[in-house]
Amino acid sequence: MFPDIPLNMVQPGSVVRISQVVGGQDDVKRMAEMGLQTGTEVEMLQSGSPCIVRVGQSKLCFRQSDVLNILVSTD
Amino acid sequence: MSVDAPARTLNVALVGNPNTGKSTLFNALSGIRQKTGNYPGVTVEKKHGSFTHKGQKVELIDLPGTYSLAPRSPDEMVTVDVLLGRQANEAKPNAVLVIVDASNLERNLYIVSQVKELGLPTVVALNMGDIAKDKGISVDVDKLAERLDVPVVATQANRKGGLDQLRDTIVSLLDRDSISPESPFPAEFCDKVSQLHEKLQKHDAESTRYLAERLLLDTSGYLEKELTSGGQELHNWIVESRNQLAELGQPVPAIEAISRYKWVQSVLDGIITREAARKVTLSDRIDRILTNRVGGTIFFILIMTLMFQAVFSDLVAGNLMGYIEGFFELIAGLVDASLADGALKSLLIDGVIAGVGGVLVFLPQICILFFFIAILEDCGYLARAAYLMDRLFSKIGLSGKSFIPLLSSFACAIPGIMAARVIENRRDRLITILVAPLMSCSARMPVYVLLTAAFIPDETIGGFLSLHTLVMLSMYLLGILAAVGVAFVLRRTILPGETPPFVMELPSYKFPSISGVLMVMVEKGWAFVKRAGTLIFAMTIIVWALSYFPRNEEAATAPFANEIAQLESQLEGANEEEAAQIEERLVEINNQIDGELLRGSFLGMAGHWIEPVVKPLGWDWKIGSAAIASFPAREVIISTMGVLYNLGGEEDEESAPLRETIKEAKWAGTDENVFNIPVALSIMVFFALCAQCAATLAVIKRETNSWRWPIFTFVYMTVLAYLGALITYQVSAAIMLS
Repeated sequence: MFPDIPLNMVQPGSVVRISQVVGGQDDVKRMAEMGLQTGTEVEMLQSGSPCIVRVGQSKLCFRQSDVLNILVSTD
Repeated sequence: MSVDAPARTLNVALVGNPNTGKSTLFNALSGIRQKTGNYPGVTVEKKHGSFTHKGQKVELIDLPGTYSLAPRSPDEMVTVDVLLGRQANEAKPNAVLVIVDASNLERNLYIVSQVKELGLPTVVALNMGDIAKDKGISVDVDKLAERLDVPVVATQANRKGGLDQLRDTIVSLLDRDSISPESPFPAEFCDKVSQLHEKLQKHDAESTRYLAERLLLDTSGYLEKELTSGGQELHNWIVESRNQLAELGQPVPAIEAISRYKWVQSVLDGIITREAARKVTLSDRIDRILTNRVGGTIFFILIMTLMFQAVFSDLVAGNLMGYIEGFFELIAGLVDASLADGALKSLLIDGVIAGVGGVLVFLPQICILFFFIAILEDCGYLARAAYLMDRLFSKIGLSGKSFIPLLSSFACAIPGIMAARVIENRRDRLITILVAPLMSCSARMPVYVLLTAAFIPDETIGGFLSLHTLVMLSMYLLGILAAVGVAFVLRRTILPGETPPFVMELPSYKFPSISGVLMVMVEKGWAFVKRAGTLIFAMTIIVWALSYFPRNEEAATAPFANEIAQLESQLEGANEEEAAQIEERLVEINNQIDGELLRGSFLGMAGHWIEPVVKPLGWDWKIGSAAIASFPAREVIISTMGVLYNLGGEEDEESAPLRETIKEAKWAGTDENVFNIPVALSIMVFFALCAQCAATLAVIKRETNSWRWPIFTFVYMTVLAYLGALITYQVSAAIMLS
C-alpha cells in the first residue's frame, strides 16, 4: 500500500480517491460542499498548484494551501 | 356568499449554484422588466424582475449564485435572510425556484436539500440538458420530481426552452403555502436542533428552525455572533451539544455534507444513467489546449491583445469617441452662439459640457470592454483565465479571481471595482478594490501623451525601441508594480490573516447568449452614464466655480485696455493680412486675461499657497494648481494647463502650441525653464499613482459601505504619488542636471 500524498502531486490522467481532507473545520466543510470530501474519486486533469481535477461531473480548479491539504491514496 | 380573494402577488426567489444558467433563466423569464440594486450594507447585488402569466403577476428576486445556504459572511447571510423574510425592505418570498445543472446533479442537489428544509413551495428547473446529453447523461425527470416531492421542469434557458411550462408550474405554486420540510439529518441531530430552536424562541419568537440548525452547524461562530447576543450559557450549550453529537458519530460540521450527499445519492439512485465510458466532450478537448501552461498562456495573451486592441483602437472605440466629442462640440457651439459672455455661459461650456462630455467620451471603451468580458464570462473562458493567472497572483497573496477586476481597471477603475464582486473572500475583495485605482486607466493617457511628446527625446534604443514607447510602458508598469507592492504590504499589515483555500469551478464551455451579453453591456454602460450625469456633473461645477471666482475682470483687463482699444480701431481699416495679425494678437491678449483671472481665482490662490509643498517635486504654482484642479477627475489637467499657460481651455494633448509653450515656460523672474525631463517624469509618476478620481472613491465607498476605505485609498495613493514624484524628480535631476 502506498502512503497518502497531497492531491497536487498526482500525475495528470490518474484517478485517485480522497483519503483525508486536513484543515480547519470550516474550510474542510466548504470543500465538501464543492464535492471534495473523503472517499470521493477524483481524476487529475492538470497537475501542479493550482491543479484541475474532475470531481463527479464538475471540473474544479484547486490550490493546495497552508491551511488546507487534500490527501489521496493512489493504490 | 363568496368574496373573491384579493389577488396575491407571488414572490419567487431564484437560487442555485454558480454557472447553472440562473441569470440567463432570470433574464428569459423577466425579459426587460428588471432592475438591479444593492442591498444596503453589503455588496450583494439584488436583481428584481417580473412577468405576468395567465393574469397572475409574479415577482422574481435573483439571488447570487451559491453552492450552499450556510452563511459564513455578510454576503451569504443576505441570501438566507431574504429566503427567511428577515431582510428589511424585501418581501418574504412565497416560493423558491432552484436552478440545477442536469449534467451535474450530484453536486447541485446539495442546495436543493437545504432549500427543501426551509419549507417554502419549491420548483426545480432542470437546466442545461444539452450539456448533460453531450456528456452521455440522461435523467428521468418524472421520477426525480417524485423523489424530490416538488415539481421539476426541464428547461434550456439559453434557447428559452421549457419556459411556458416553468411559468405554469410557478403560477400553480400560488395554491400552496408550504411544503413539509424534509431533513436529511439523523434523528439525534434533529432532536438537538429542536431543543435549540425552543431555546431560541424563548428570546425571539420569530426564530426559525432552519437558523437553529445552522447555528448548531456553524462552528466558525459567525452566526452565533450575528444572531444571538452571545450569551455564555447558550454558547456552552451549543458546544456541549456538538461534543455529544461527535460522540454519537455525528461530528459537526462534517455531518451536514455526509447527510446531504447521502440524501442526494438516495434521490438519484436508479434515475440517472450514464454511458459506461466517459465521453470526451468538446469542452474537454478545448480545455486540453486552453488550460495547458504553454498553449493556454499563448491563447490568453492573444485574447487580451485582441480585447485591448478593440478598446483602444480607432476602428471602433476611436470613431465612436469622435462622434461623442463631435456631439458635445456641437452643443458647446450652440450654447456659445446663443448666450452672452458671462458666468452662465462659462459654467455651461467650461463646466458642464467640458466636464460631463470629457467623461462620457469614455463610454464606447467601457461598453466594448464589458461586451468582451460578458462574452468571455458567458462562454466559460474567464474561469480559465483566472486559473492561469492564479500562479502569478498567489505570489502577492491574492487569487486568480482578482484578475478580471484589475484587467477592467485598465479601461476605468469604476467597473473594475464593481467587478470585484466575483471574489467571495472579503479580504481578497477589499485588497483588489484598494489596488484597482493604481492600474493606469484611460484618463491618464492624455497626461502621458502630452508630457512624453514634449520632453522625451524622440530617439530609439538599439535602433528599434522608441524612447517614447518605453516611457509610456514604464508608466503602465509602474502602476502594476505599485499595486503588487501595496497588495503585499496590506496583506502583512492592516489586512492580515491566513490565505483561504482557493477552489473554483470551471464550467463547461457554451455558446454565449447574445441577448444576455448585450443586456450586461447596456446595464454597465447606463450605470456609467448615470454616474457621469450626477457625481461628475457636481464635481465639474465645483472645480469650475473654484477656477472662476472671485472674478475681477476690470483689474485683469485694465493693463490691456488701451492696447485692445487701439487694436480694435486699427482693425476697421486693416487689409486682410493685417486683420489676421491683429486678431491673432487679440486672441493672445484674451488668453493672457483668462490666465490672469485664473491666477486670481480660488484655484490659482490655492496653487500659490501649496507652492512650497510642490517645489521639491520640481513644480511651479501653475503645475500645482493644475494638479489640484484634477483631483476630482485627472482629465482636467490638460485644459487647466491650457488656461494657466494663457492658451485658452481648448487645448488637448496633441496640441502643438501647448507643448511649445510649456517647453518655454520660465520660473517667475528668471530665465530658468520650469519644464525639463525630470519635471515631466515627476508629473507623470504623480498622475500614475495618485487617486485623482472622485467617482472611483465614491464607488469604493458604495462597494465597501464605509467611508474608511475611500479615505484610506485617497490618503495612501496621494502619499505614494507625492513620494514617487519626489524621488523621481530628485534622482533624475541629480543625474541629468548635474
